[in-house]
Amino acid sequence: MPEARRLEALAERLRTVDPIAPSPGAKIRGWNLVLAGVTQSATRRPRVSVTRLVLAAAAAGVLLVAGALAASADSLPDSALYPLKGAWEQVRGTLAFSPSDKLAFHLELSQTRLAEAEAMLARHRIDLAGRALEALDNELDDAAELVQTARQNDPAAAADMQSRLQQAIATHELQLSGLQGQVTNPTALTAISRARDRALAALQAAESTGPNGKNGNTSPSPNGGRGSGSPHPTPKH
Amino acid sequence: MRALGKAASDDDRPLIERVRKGDQDAARTLFERYFDRIYNYVYVRLGRVEDAEDLAIDTMTRSLTRLDLFQDQGVAFSSWVYRIAHNATIDHYRRNGKVTLVPLENAILPQTADPSELALEQLSNEDLRAALRDLTEEQQQVLILRFFQDLTAAQVADIMGKSVGAVQALQHRALGSLERALQGRAAN
Repeated sequence: MPEARRLEALAERLRTVDPIAPSPGAKIRGWNLVLAGVTQSATRRPRVSVTRLVLAAAAAGVLLVAGALAASADSLPDSALYPLKGAWEQVRGTLAFSPSDKLAFHLELSQTRLAEAEAMLARHRIDLAGRALEALDNELDDAAELVQTARQNDPAAAADMQSRLQQAIATHELQLSGLQGQVTNPTALTAISRARDRALAALQAAESTGPNGKNGNTSPSPNGGRGSGSPHPTPKH
Repeated sequence: MRALGKAASDDDRPLIERVRKGDQDAARTLFERYFDRIYNYVYVRLGRVEDAEDLAIDTMTRSLTRLDLFQDQGVAFSSWVYRIAHNATIDHYRRNGKVTLVPLENAILPQTADPSELALEQLSNEDLRAALRDLTEEQQQVLILRFFQDLTAAQVADIMGKSVGAVQALQHRALGSLERALQGRAAN
């Protein structure tokens, strides 16, 4: 008989083998164990679900915070996300280690504050614009202090930093004077004028040899060396 | 008990969802659907009633109480249950020191017997079951699932994690090995 037919016959013979039934006792025992297990697993299911929920919530939280941080990057002072922006800036500030990096960080923030002030003035939020301008000058003060400190430790680096600060303040001065020409609100005009004065004061502080020292640099100030006082006459409209 | 068809597998899904929620009636239905099959599958592999009962109970308990481990990703619930039974059987072999890994065509069977002399009609069912146990693990598994459990080659492939072609080739070799095992037993 050919192999194929033999094996086919053997397969057919296997199909006729009667199944063996388990004893009723085994079936009862098995069902009782399954029943107990199903009941137990049903009662412990919430614990598993809670664990998964906590993990899912944590993941969602991370995504939410990351998304909110990303969204807050361009937020303005009248936005609900603005506090997040400030918090994130503080975190970034801790990551700037060298004096040069810190200066770049403060100059970047000063530019951001100026842009915010312009936006708030455009929306007639004079109070918020005033705060943004004040924050701008705080950044410039910090930058000037960095230059002063650097001058004592590394004069060459300090010269470079001072040059960068001068350029930044010159740019701010141009923007602020332009802004001053556009607004009519007396409070806003006063805030802008004060901001320009403080910016110049910061530059002069940076040029001095120390916090209470004399000027050590004769480079002209961005407004053409008009000196301190009130060099920004409020335009009449 | 024959023919665990596709329809049965499809019917399992709503029952599984209910069992996950603690529905005892659904668990009972699945238990009744699979317990005898799994017992029979394990019994043919082991040949001992007590061991087969223990392993069948263990398989069904694991299957129905750890449904959180079963994810319906192309593998049928029936395949999952058979895989658990298979693994339980292998564990049992290991615990008891039984290892059947040498293919019989390379080992113990006489190659000189005339195949035509094998009188299938004179073989008892128990002779066939006993001869099956002389085969390798995979050969036993494929013959039991295909002919005792009456599953299709596709279903067996799903259970064993092989292609249908591989199952068909394995089945052919297993039948040849079984034939030689029966001849060897007849010669003794």
